[in-house]
Amino acid sequence: MSETTSRLHRKFKVAASLLIIGLLTEAVTLYWSKPTSFLVFIGVGGFLVVSGIVIYLLAIVNE
Amino acid sequence: METHAFAIFVLLTIVLIGLVAIRPSLMTARGGKILAFIAFFIMPIVATVFGASIHLDHSKSTQFCLSCHPMEPYGKSLYVDDPTYIPASHFQNNRIPRNHACFTCHTNYTLFGDLHAKLRGLRHVYVYYFKEIPPKLALYEPYRNRECLHCHANARSFEEKSPHTEMKPQLFSNEVSCLTCHSTIHNVEHLDTVKIWKGAGK
Repeated sequence: MSETTSRLHRKFKVAASLLIIGLLTEAVTLYWSKPTSFLVFIGVGGFLVVSGIVIYLLAIVNE
Repeated sequence: METHAFAIFVLLTIVLIGLVAIRPSLMTARGGKILAFIAFFIMPIVATVFGASIHLDHSKSTQFCLSCHPMEPYGKSLYVDDPTYIPASHFQNNRIPRNHACFTCHTNYTLFGDLHAKLRGLRHVYVYYFKEIPPKLALYEPYRNRECLHCHANARSFEEKSPHTEMKPQLFSNEVSCLTCHSTIHNVEHLDTVKIWKGAGK
């Protein structure tokens, strides 16, 4: 496996980790009916999901 | 129900993301690339939009509004055993949905009414955590008749009752407030002196 491919796979893994943690955070907040839950949903979950998506997109664009 | 649907969707997304992340060789084929794009881009966006809409829906619930400590007396005022208390009589007689009681009367029935209510809600969260909560809570602007007339306009009980008929133009133009006559609202300062209704599972 070339170094480029290995770097690409590593970026996918980072993106996947961020997306999984972000999605889990979003899911947990929905079972918590408090005003702060929406802030956690957007501030933590949303941020992680967007970061994961951006890393994934950058990885495929640079591929 | 929709929360469970969201959880299932998130689980499915996580499985797909995990599959692609564990076996990146899948992405060498065209089908694998499409699968990765769906798992890493489309599904997380759909999940976030879906989740945000569920959150917005949750935020309309009475339980949600009353989860903030300063709102507790207002929640208690819905159980006052006195029909002259306007919010209490609406709540107890199901004139408004009990699970959306606060939102039904305190949203503006305009195109962006829901959005305004939510933005104010975010400001309330900010004040709750980072500022001093005012000792007496007040509305941002005088209560508009539009919010009452959203339901009462054209209702027989409203139209045929004096002085509504005579004052209709002033009421519809907001010249005279409904609260001029119907002035007993939450009155949280007097909750200790009033009888509380024990119905509705409370």
